[in-house]
Amino acid sequence: MRFRTAAGALALAATLIGTAVAQSYPAATDVPHTTDVARLRAQAIEREIHERFKRGLDAEARADWTAAVPEFERIIALDPAEPKGSTARYDLAIARARSGDYPAAQRLLDEALARDPGFTAAAANLVSVGVLAGDIAAARRAADRFVALAPASARARYERGIVALRGGDLATAQADFRALAAGDPAYAVAYYDLALIEIRAAHFDAAELELDRALAIDPGYARARFALATVFVRAGRRSEARAAFDRAARDASDVTLRSLALDLRDRL
Amino acid sequence: MTGLRIRWTVLLTLLSVLAAAGGVALSAEASLDELGRSQLRPSAFAELLGPITESGRVGWDCAPEHAAVARTARAAGLPTDRR
Repeated sequence: MRFRTAAGALALAATLIGTAVAQSYPAATDVPHTTDVARLRAQAIEREIHERFKRGLDAEARADWTAAVPEFERIIALDPAEPKGSTARYDLAIARARSGDYPAAQRLLDEALARDPGFTAAAANLVSVGVLAGDIAAARRAADRFVALAPASARARYERGIVALRGGDLATAQADFRALAAGDPAYAVAYYDLALIEIRAAHFDAAELELDRALAIDPGYARARFALATVFVRAGRRSEARAAFDRAARDASDVTLRSLALDLRDRL
Repeated sequence: MTGLRIRWTVLLTLLSVLAAAGGVALSAEASLDELGRSQLRPSAFAELLGPITESGRVGWDCAPEHAAVARTARAAGLPTDRR
């Protein structure tokens, strides 16, 4: 009898606990449905933006730029709040640039930056698009803007350094590659570009030092080895030049560089 | 007198040949130098950063933004094509 009473009490307790659990609700949330016309419209737009972002990004992942363009253009037409508006312009700029429409890509990235001046990826791509367009002056303006926005960024320093070097501004290029090397001393490419700056300025001893640094980090850096060989040629150090051209040819995976290094080695 | 003239002629000819050979050598060295240096190009431009998702820039937490502000070449996705 006692046993039956105890079992009954336990069963009752279990039922009460189960009921209590079943009746505990999470905190109040937004009502999922509405009949308000304005709100329904806003929700429909949000859904469309979401879906078009997904479709546009899927198309870009397939490198199907033609399919990506209308998706992002529609998002821009729907005029979403930030950061979606500038993000859609950024994504559309990629599709435009990949399709070869650089002026449109530049305009879109400018618009993205106007909407969000802190959008560093847009600032970075604006430099790249200027370069792709062959517009070194525009690339330089974009690079100055990128460095001003993110002075500690390795990409900002690298991009402006390369643009400045190609544009003949050796002082800016040198400052940027020095900053890049200071921030990332293991990046051999920075020393290679610094060496090119020294060669253009006819500072061959300094160039040799920079190339030695690059090759100490990466002994198989064929372009740096090739550049060092030309410094040796300039200094009349023929046997060192021959050995350096030979090593550059062996390390080079680029066929043009390899054949040129072999040709120059054989002429010495 | 004739023998002396012949010696001078031979000497001058030899000097001319030597000078010409030296000039050719110097010229070859210079052209080699120019040829080599003309092939020295700056490293490659950085590639475009990739697309960003709809919510990617909420809190700036997306790969392109990280790459744009990274302080190291590897994290920034800078060119490594050195060969």
